[in-house]
Amino acid sequence: MSLTDTGANASVSVDKGAFRSGPAGLSLFGRRLWARLSAVLLGLSFPAALLALWWVGAARGWLPPQILPSPALVWQTFTELWADGSLAEHTAVSIRRVAVGFAAGAGLGLIFGALCGLFPGFRAYAYPPVQAIARVNVLAWMPLLALFVGIDEPLKYVVIAWSASIPVIIGTVRGIAETPERLNELGEVFGFRPQDRLRLIVLPSALPSIFTGLREGLANAWQTLVLAELFASFEGLGYLMTWGRQLFQLDLVLISMVVVSLLGLSLDTVLKWLERRAQPWNAGGRNG
Amino acid sequence: MTIPALRLNRLSKSFTVDGAPVEVLSDIDLTVAPGEFITIVGASGCGKSTLLRLILGLDRDFEGTLEIDGQPVKGPGLDRSIVFQEHRLLPWLTAERNVAAALLRSGLSRADKDRTVREHLDLVGLGDFAQAYPAQLSGGMSQRVAIARALVNRPRFLLLDEPLGALDALTRLRLQDELKRIVAHEKATAILVTHDVDEAVYLGHRIVVLHPRPGRIAEVVEVPAAARADRSSPEFVTLRDHVLAQLGVQTPARGKVAA
Repeated sequence: MSLTDTGANASVSVDKGAFRSGPAGLSLFGRRLWARLSAVLLGLSFPAALLALWWVGAARGWLPPQILPSPALVWQTFTELWADGSLAEHTAVSIRRVAVGFAAGAGLGLIFGALCGLFPGFRAYAYPPVQAIARVNVLAWMPLLALFVGIDEPLKYVVIAWSASIPVIIGTVRGIAETPERLNELGEVFGFRPQDRLRLIVLPSALPSIFTGLREGLANAWQTLVLAELFASFEGLGYLMTWGRQLFQLDLVLISMVVVSLLGLSLDTVLKWLERRAQPWNAGGRNG
Repeated sequence: MTIPALRLNRLSKSFTVDGAPVEVLSDIDLTVAPGEFITIVGASGCGKSTLLRLILGLDRDFEGTLEIDGQPVKGPGLDRSIVFQEHRLLPWLTAERNVAAALLRSGLSRADKDRTVREHLDLVGLGDFAQAYPAQLSGGMSQRVAIARALVNRPRFLLLDEPLGALDALTRLRLQDELKRIVAHEKATAILVTHDVDEAVYLGHRIVVLHPRPGRIAEVVEVPAAARADRSSPEFVTLRDHVLAQLGVQTPARGKVAA
């Protein structure tokens, strides 16, 4: 009988705002939408100002058109490249390289990172060399790698995978290592087997760090892609940049840069969305 | 006389700090009967939490004997469970699944697990919050889930490490009542560590007063039924003042009124 009293107590604590919903939710939603919108507008205002400056500068002839082509010319080149399908072709090549490289790098990085995180012996044996290698930019390895795998597609896959894997490994190792001891203890009290501990404690607790690693890895993959394509390639967005530079067609360079940056941003957004989906317990909470 | 459920005999524990051993518990002798509610009070640093960790089996490095039903404690077991000061719920599991996590190795069937989880959430008044994540619950509610989780295996020993210490005063008073009722309902043997003397008197059948550095038993006091039943009874006040005095806190004014 008195146990039912506790139900009433519970609802008292809820009124203090434990659950975010209810009649006040609508106006709150409106305010949030406005806050979101003004942030977006603010974020767009700087690029817009740059664009305006570029427009005016090109129109007034502040810089020779060979060095700074007008926005109109860049747009025209863009529509041409779009119409003849070559932009899509180069973009597809680049996306394929990043997709293969990132998938391999992230996959191997996750496995290697998990092994290092879960088995201290393996970590002591295998992790220090990786840490040392991580200090040297993968591009410095490229001449050496080219001797082993040639300069065709495998070279791009390897360097992209390499650069993507480093943050994934570090994020995974750190995430696992930083499992709170008090939660491990809990697993001990409940008599968890190692696989229970992994599933219920270690992995969920490492997830934010792993996702940070994946997002950094993806950013690395894009950066490395462009550099690898500058180095040795006849297709791809990086190649388009080199070609544009050699022909002194800065419009090509600018277009490739915009495409690379927009694609990178969109993929990062996808990963962020995945991260939220993978951690529903944060919804409406700190990460909301 | 029943067989003692838990027996500590000349139990001592040292930690090594900067290469030198520091004794945190010294010669603890205590026998706890089945169904008893023991409260342990003491200033911070008197080894209260360490004592619970030893009973729980999380720390096997001690001197003396620590036995349950005459068998030495070798490690954690589902016959003992604990509520910590912080709720220690797994943030990624709903209230329901947090409670169910304690049953993972219980060997119960799926249906039995579901049923007993529901029963225990109802017992702590959170039946309607089974699907809520810890981040969506208030501190008091989270601690109730932790209590449900500790009870769901129907442990013989419920160890409580200042479980209400981090809660606001009103929630604490309410949960003290609930805790008392629930422990009686489950017929568990409870050991509660606290620095709140009122709580110790109100909940315990016996109070163990610890003195610090190293933690040792100063006195074991029986709590009269009248003191345990009513926070305003003269017995309660007298016993509280006595325990406070043992802990070095004088209450002269009230002492005169009581006399």
